[in-house]
Amino acid sequence: MSIERSLKQYELDRREAVKLAAKLLLASGTTSPRVGGVGECTIHIIDDECEIDELAHKVEALAEENKAWKMFKRDAAMLRDADAVLVITSLRCLTDPADINCNMCGRLTCEYYRKVERIPAGPGVAFTGPLCVFRANNMAYAIDAVIQQARAMGIDYGVFWSAGVAAMRMKIVPRDAGFCVAVAISVTEKSPFRDVPVKYDEMNERTMNDRIIKRLWPQFRSIYS
Amino acid sequence: MAVKNMNDMLQDGLDRAVELMMVAAHNSYRFGNRNTITCVSVGKEEMEQIAEFAYSLGDMSPLAARDGRFLRDLIKEPCALLVFGDRRKSDLNFNCGACGYRTCAELNKAEEMESLTARGPSCQFKNISLNIAANAAASLAWRLGLHCRVFSTLAMAAFALQIIPDVDVVTSVAVSTARVDPFFDRHKFWTQEHWDETFSREFPTFTRGFIGAIE
Repeated sequence: MSIERSLKQYELDRREAVKLAAKLLLASGTTSPRVGGVGECTIHIIDDECEIDELAHKVEALAEENKAWKMFKRDAAMLRDADAVLVITSLRCLTDPADINCNMCGRLTCEYYRKVERIPAGPGVAFTGPLCVFRANNMAYAIDAVIQQARAMGIDYGVFWSAGVAAMRMKIVPRDAGFCVAVAISVTEKSPFRDVPVKYDEMNERTMNDRIIKRLWPQFRSIYS
Repeated sequence: MAVKNMNDMLQDGLDRAVELMMVAAHNSYRFGNRNTITCVSVGKEEMEQIAEFAYSLGDMSPLAARDGRFLRDLIKEPCALLVFGDRRKSDLNFNCGACGYRTCAELNKAEEMESLTARGPSCQFKNISLNIAANAAASLAWRLGLHCRVFSTLAMAAFALQIIPDVDVVTSVAVSTARVDPFFDRHKFWTQEHWDETFSREFPTFTRGFIGAIE
């Protein structure tokens, strides 16, 4: 095997590892607990470079919609470095409350909850709440199952609700999805989701495309973050 | 060398496992990089109280009654119950709308609704962080080979009995080192006749030939 061939093979194998890992993470997320034992979550893998970029683009656009979402720009920079994104959805939290009158949404009973007016969808609104909190909590189990499995396999991960909102806006998740969160994964030597310096959306591996900077930046990033 | 009794070792192992579960939960992933979760390990006496209270809710919630009755059996063998709780108000400033209010400030100013099970309205992301902690504990228990199940009913009973202080929303994880897994397939609580009767009452169409042919 030539040197060129071995390097190319390494890159191909790395990409293959990402695809396999994403599927195993999906399996772990799918089998995690659900309240009342009622299934409702779906997990969608996005592992195409261009599709991840589209998602990151949407996340960036969302940052302009709401003053509280300025950190979405930083999220977009991180997402662009991700190898795959798993979008986790909750399909019942918007349309099918759990009927156990838990009051976590603050409406005392599910009957009152059904009559509450929802926030209309529009710019600056991520989720058209109120959601059935009891149902949406299933997301927590799915997210953590993905995280636990990623940790067990030694895969770097980052959790982004911004990408979940972007996926909902892009209509690439089922229509009933009322709540979405994304877990991005990376199989690289340096996790793109850790050691994130200030102004990361402006100064990152993509924007600092200069040979000397490229040589020095990784170490600078490690020290000053 | 002294011979150590199996039951003593099981109890010691369980105690250690519960401590490790607490560590896993405490260090689990959180949204907004904040760690405000409270967690307690409930003793046998309190578990008895929880069991009685949950069972007494039979008319209101069959699910709570089921778990209360089950907990009375569970405490006969080595077991533990971890109750997790958090405050309902948001300090995240995500302004996401999931709670039904446009901003976190609106949610924090909204009228608090009191009930036996939780105080609402609560921040969705705080809830998710809380349940991630519960899942981290459950996940470790699973890997350690403990019998394990996540219970919201028992946590709500603990909340109503004020066993866990200064929290608004709760969840719980029960673990056990019983001889067989006590948490799933709990068929011993009803007879075949009772099951058949309940099933035919709840799902009358299942045994019907075609719609309209009652007798």
